[in-house]
Amino acid sequence: MRDTILKVEHVTKSYTGHKALDDVSLEVPRGAVYGLLGPNGAGKTTLIRVINKITIADSGSVTLDGKPLTSAEVFNIGYMPEERGLYKKMRVGEQALFFARLKGLERGEAERRLKAWFERLNIADWWARKVEDLSKGMAQKVQFIATVVHEPKLLIFDEPFSGFDPINANMLKEEILGLRDRGATIIFSTHNMASVEEICDHITLINKSRNILSGSVEEIRRRAGGNIFEVIHKSDAESLVSTLEDKAMPLGESRGVVGGYHQTKIHVMKDGDLKEVIALLNDRCGLRSINEVIPSMNDIFIRAVNGTL
Amino acid sequence: MNKTWLIISREYGERVRKKSFIITTLLMPIFMIALMIAPTLMMLYATGDQKQIVVLDRSGRAIVDRLQPSAEVSFIREDGMSKAEACNIYGEESGIFGVLYIGSEVEMRDSVQLITNSSSSMMLEENIAAQISDIIEKDKLAAYNIENLDQILADVETRIELSTFLNDGTGEEESMESTSSGINYILGIILGMMLYMVIILYGQMVLTSVVEEKASRVVDVLVTSCTPFQIMMGKILGIALVAITQIAIWAALVIAASKFLMPMLFTADVMATNDMMMQALMGTIGDTGYLVMLFTYLLLFILGGFLLYASLYAASGSAVDSVMDGQQFNTIIMMPIILALIVMMSVFNDPNSPLAFWASMIPFTSPIVMIARIPFGIAQWEIIVSLVVLYATFIITTWLAAKIYRVGIFMHGKRPSWKELWQWLRMK
Repeated sequence: MRDTILKVEHVTKSYTGHKALDDVSLEVPRGAVYGLLGPNGAGKTTLIRVINKITIADSGSVTLDGKPLTSAEVFNIGYMPEERGLYKKMRVGEQALFFARLKGLERGEAERRLKAWFERLNIADWWARKVEDLSKGMAQKVQFIATVVHEPKLLIFDEPFSGFDPINANMLKEEILGLRDRGATIIFSTHNMASVEEICDHITLINKSRNILSGSVEEIRRRAGGNIFEVIHKSDAESLVSTLEDKAMPLGESRGVVGGYHQTKIHVMKDGDLKEVIALLNDRCGLRSINEVIPSMNDIFIRAVNGTL
Repeated sequence: MNKTWLIISREYGERVRKKSFIITTLLMPIFMIALMIAPTLMMLYATGDQKQIVVLDRSGRAIVDRLQPSAEVSFIREDGMSKAEACNIYGEESGIFGVLYIGSEVEMRDSVQLITNSSSSMMLEENIAAQISDIIEKDKLAAYNIENLDQILADVETRIELSTFLNDGTGEEESMESTSSGINYILGIILGMMLYMVIILYGQMVLTSVVEEKASRVVDVLVTSCTPFQIMMGKILGIALVAITQIAIWAALVIAASKFLMPMLFTADVMATNDMMMQALMGTIGDTGYLVMLFTYLLLFILGGFLLYASLYAASGSAVDSVMDGQQFNTIIMMPIILALIVMMSVFNDPNSPLAFWASMIPFTSPIVMIARIPFGIAQWEIIVSLVVLYATFIITTWLAAKIYRVGIFMHGKRPSWKELWQWLRMK
């Protein structure tokens, strides 16, 4: 078992009229890529801002390596907010240099590291351009570099993949994994489940201001695994639902497949019901095939939000 | 401190390299000189074509024959026509500027009328009124049948010039500093306006810049490296340095002109001019030591005044989401500045009045009012007390502003109420 780098305990934060975080606790293991998942407005960004000390929690505590975060410790954190924080009028290189030096790097060292990063992300030509001339994705690369250049041991990205095309999103994924391999711990928030499956090893699922699911991806998969089946059937999804009643529930939408068939993922609620479900499907829904599948994070997400995990 | 210094140098570096900064810094002195020369030039050249005025003289004193034409206006005598007829004939198409009707009882109200086809100027009206008054006056004097009247009038005409000095206890005009209220007045206005402009322009720059940093969430990133206080102070001091740079460049230009250009332009025979005002002006501009002193005070007061107001602007900027929302606070901050300008104008009547004294001690009006008084020769202790109070207040307002700032920059959404601001102030 790896040790814990960041511990969030019973954090609650209310704004007038609504609770943004309700008794949220989580532990981030050292060297993990930790995903904070949840629908929009669930409280992910608030939690990140509490961890960064931008927002002060009403109650609860956040500790880094067992100590409350002090201003001397912020050197150890790199934070990339969702709304990109760059000076629009400033030149890219100078800006990156400014942020790197604020993080405590010497001028020469900062410049050397930045140049290397710019080369690596294919943006060396932009050094002298102004941020306002860059596209959103380009600016995001600059922001990413400014976040990681001082090689902090904890990196926090808020929705890092929004605004990236698939090629650059992939590049970013590789970089994040590379940073982890070099010893950093990474926390990022997202509502994009696909990215979670590819790079996260731990997640916390936040819904309606509460932590509803935490743990390693493997373990969660194992816990959620079983009893998920992909059914190909003749009748439409509605009659499938009414046929199965409470014995099984569909996960997500049905989709049409060749030959006028429908494909639906279902979760069979009890192990023992499988035979009966198959019989029902066969009798009433024109069952063509049924296969067990390993649940995707998306399925788990939906089940967790619906409270059926 | 190292981080504050980084922020200062970013704010400073970004701003002084802007084209707009370089242009205003170099063009402003030219613009100021143009502004001073322009009214004279305009008087000389803006009179336009000679205006023709048709005169109906019903006074029976032959006033019309004695009206003197000038480059600006000429008079055409018209008899045997009623006012209505004249107005009808000499309408807009006639090319005539207007009709001057002189009634029989010249000194009665509405007796002398100028009926113009387009709007007339103050100078033209004064010219005509003065000419007619002179003519009537002469007629009246002539009625006394005094011999050699013209000779007597020429003899009694008197004009004296007052030489003013600052008392140094000796009473020797060679040692006493010659003063001129006219020059002091002009200098006071220039210095006061300069302070006003710097506080407003650079103060609002602080507000805009804080709002931008907040809206673009740059501040979220910054705060993971340094404290809100460092961010705020870095910004205020960085912009203050920009203002100081600009004024230092202006000062250097003026002082260089005083040291090298003035001796060349104003040779001894020019200095021998009779015009006291001109002489005093040249004396002031040519006195390099005096200029250095003035600019030193100017810098001290601009720095103090700016820092004081910048802290208020920074707090306001942190509390709002857009520059537009900041207008409400902006209006409130502007009030004492405008008040200071109004008081400054009254200072010129009596630089040592109680109003002038207190307004130059109370920190919110003191920079503008005090700097306008300094050319009149103010006791050193007054200036020092005013500066000390100003800088002490700046420390207090900055301390309060920082309390609002550190909460405000992370608050998004609706503009906070006064009650909320008060809560932020009291937050630990």
